[in-house]
Amino acid sequence: MTPMRELNWNIAEHKLIYAVFLPFLIVFLWGVFVTMRRWLLGRPDPRWDRLWERLVGVVAQAGVQFRILREAYAGVLHATLSWGFFVLLAATCLVLLQEYLGLPTLQGPFYLYFMSLVVDLFGVLALVGTGMALLRRWVLKPKRLVEPRGSDGYSVLLVLIFVILASGFVVEGLRIVATRDPWGAWSPGGWLFAQAFLGMPQEGLERLHRISWWGHAVAAFAFIAYLPFSRAMHILVAPLSIFFRSLEPLGRLPAGGGAGAEGPGASSLRQLTWKHLLDLDACTECGRCQAACPAWLSGAPLSPKGLVLDLRDHLRARLGHSNGGRAMVGDVITREVIWSCFTCGACHEMCPVYIEPVPKIVEMRRFLTSQGDVDATLQDTLTATSRYGNSLGQSPRARARWTQGLDVTIKDIRRERARYLWFVGDYASYDPAARDATRAAARVLHRAGVDFGILYDGESGSGNDARRVGEEGLFEMLVEKNLATMRGCEFDEIMTTDPHTYNTLKNEYPRFGATWPVVHYSEVLDRLVQPDGVRLTRKLSRRVTYHDPCYLGRYNGVFDAPRRVLRALGAELVEMPRNRRSSYCCGAGGGRIWMKEAAGIKERPAESRVREAAALDAVGTLVVACPKEMAMFRDAVKTTGLEDRLVIKDLAELVEEATTLEVSGHA
Amino acid sequence: MNITVLLSMVPDLVEELEIDASGAALDTQWLRYVISESDDHALEQALLLKDRHGASVSVMALDYGDADQVLFAALARGADEAVKLTGIPEAGLGKRAAAATFKEALGGIRTDLILTGVQAIDDLDAHVAGMLGGMMALPYVGVTRSVEPSGEGKVLVQKEYPGGAAAEIEVTLPAVIGVLSAPQPPRYVPVARIREVMKTRTLDEREAVPATVPAEPAIIRLFKPESAEHAQMLDGSPEELAEQIVKILEDRGLAP
Repeated sequence: MTPMRELNWNIAEHKLIYAVFLPFLIVFLWGVFVTMRRWLLGRPDPRWDRLWERLVGVVAQAGVQFRILREAYAGVLHATLSWGFFVLLAATCLVLLQEYLGLPTLQGPFYLYFMSLVVDLFGVLALVGTGMALLRRWVLKPKRLVEPRGSDGYSVLLVLIFVILASGFVVEGLRIVATRDPWGAWSPGGWLFAQAFLGMPQEGLERLHRISWWGHAVAAFAFIAYLPFSRAMHILVAPLSIFFRSLEPLGRLPAGGGAGAEGPGASSLRQLTWKHLLDLDACTECGRCQAACPAWLSGAPLSPKGLVLDLRDHLRARLGHSNGGRAMVGDVITREVIWSCFTCGACHEMCPVYIEPVPKIVEMRRFLTSQGDVDATLQDTLTATSRYGNSLGQSPRARARWTQGLDVTIKDIRRERARYLWFVGDYASYDPAARDATRAAARVLHRAGVDFGILYDGESGSGNDARRVGEEGLFEMLVEKNLATMRGCEFDEIMTTDPHTYNTLKNEYPRFGATWPVVHYSEVLDRLVQPDGVRLTRKLSRRVTYHDPCYLGRYNGVFDAPRRVLRALGAELVEMPRNRRSSYCCGAGGGRIWMKEAAGIKERPAESRVREAAALDAVGTLVVACPKEMAMFRDAVKTTGLEDRLVIKDLAELVEEATTLEVSGHA
Repeated sequence: MNITVLLSMVPDLVEELEIDASGAALDTQWLRYVISESDDHALEQALLLKDRHGASVSVMALDYGDADQVLFAALARGADEAVKLTGIPEAGLGKRAAAATFKEALGGIRTDLILTGVQAIDDLDAHVAGMLGGMMALPYVGVTRSVEPSGEGKVLVQKEYPGGAAAEIEVTLPAVIGVLSAPQPPRYVPVARIREVMKTRTLDEREAVPATVPAEPAIIRLFKPESAEHAQMLDGSPEELAEQIVKILEDRGLAP
């Protein structure tokens, strides 16, 4: 006998289901329409390029859910729940195929192995996932779900999902008992439920089956109708936000809203792009961004999740005409929130649905800066940068003063050709904490015979951070100045000290016509310590840990070069828990190094980071590859009292130690 | 209300000052100029009056240093017109000559209120504003921290005195006010707006009328601070150091 089950057994009036479905469908479509209409408020932003790459992303992140699965508990519960639902939905569609196209989906081995066994097991998985989710929301209550405000919208959804899944098994169980289905055990979930109904009279079974069949259908329809008005909307919107995600490098900020009547940047929702608005509906409120955000974790008022939710409420209230005249910048999103961001990009990295908080924040900063609405220390820095070309407010003529007293002469690349144009950058040139490392790098490169030169006082700040505080005009001015100088020089590659400088030269200068390859000094050191390169005279037999600078690692994917250098030196590299893409910001980025500390800070990001490094077993050295980190971490070891425990060293300083026979006092 | 703000440039101390071969003047080759701080506040005071009460603000500067940059920045911040007085020597004018030159230039302009910084790092004894008031025979108040309109043709100014004392003084217009500070710090003007203004606006250039003033005092010698006495360094163990310190204090009659 061929395994099979009868289509629509016991439901004679099953065609009625379409009439019942219609009102639910109308509500669903209306909800989808209202949601999508909100996005049209935003300005255009073409995101239709590289379709294949976009589709692959949807399959990987919405289908397989790689990013969600980075976390064990939340990943497993989401995957089981959603894959279970996918499969159940697919099975329902397959039943329709038999009903209308006569495809035999409910008979034979396909019925037995797939429609019964596999589908049933996925149903069980979904039920388990739902239970895990409810446990997490009601009992475990992780902080990132309840702060800055809870998202109870999910509880009602999960209960509804539970009802749908359980009623489905009840229907199946009743059918198995009532029809004395010989293949009942092939549907393990339904078979288990069937045990509860054994011994019931046939008439009662059939009546209960009809009631639960219709109950199951109505519950499923209710879910569909409720979906666009609930947090379940992410089922539809998240694949869109993944599809339309930015494929540009994180370090290439979009040009922005341009100067309309309302000025540059974004002071209202209309000046954000449609994708920014779509992001707001895609947010699942999972809070992974927040749990990785150095602003939030240090006690600043910014949570990326909170930002997105506040903007979403504003968007919905705005179209409901009930926003009470609240301005997006200032009322809905306060200045303190906007200025708290380090632009470290951890939220971009963590978000399972590829929401982009940083460009939204920068757009709002552009607006504030265009209004002159900047804090006093930031104003001084910007004024100094436009006047002197450096953010430290020092004489541009003193830019190469760090070269004085070096026993090597550094080429002036404006006069002499060299392989590398070393773009030193503001901090490495002027900051007392960073200059020693700059000099060490110069000596190492010189001894290794690297052909390099610097621009001396012809160099101005690269403008990376000016751009990130929203000072687009200042950024452009600096780009023009630097390009004018560099165009008069002969070289093959640009080498930078500062990862922030590296980022903008590599990702943003090309828009202005710069075509040179850009490398970070850690990459040049990596080339030097290869077996055929510089002779290492001394093994550094010590345990060190390495901090990935946000703008080098997460932003530009340079993770391995500095690590290879450390290993080549003989150092034993121990990783901090937050490493590589999950590296934790030192608190200097996004122009924050120029601003007053936000009120109510509990623990500075740099302090959190040095504690993390000091907690590693027998690690006494924290290695950095960014001149700003030197200042941040040296301060932090003092304020945390870890001075005796942890030394902050630049990568170049360690290379110099390993290449110098006589380790003199100054090294 | 028509307000004129007089702006002047002073050497930017971010660069080390060098003395030229004559030994009596700064070497202008290495000089970088910046707007004088209290002039910056005078401009902010004028713009605050404009924002709050409506006014037409014109700025005026002698053509030396970075006059163009300073004037364009003032336009970008909100000034309505900018006048550059040309024909000025490269190193600027003496304070009395500057006051007289401004007086001549202001002669043809209808203005109710003349605001300028009360002092500058090269005018610590606050000559320009006071002398200008005298030359123009107008009321003058200096060292103000706030200027507000009070009735027809009058302003109420807050003037600071040493020791934290302050006075409110009502001044009949037209008048000259020497501003120490505006009620709020000078506003930030984004670079894009300055560049926009430099492209779209022009400065009203006027030949400065040479002013005849009595000869200014001549500088005989300009010099950098010279260290007169050197610190005495103590050496030795903590006990020896303590003994030495006690002895020094006794020698000077500071310890019994």
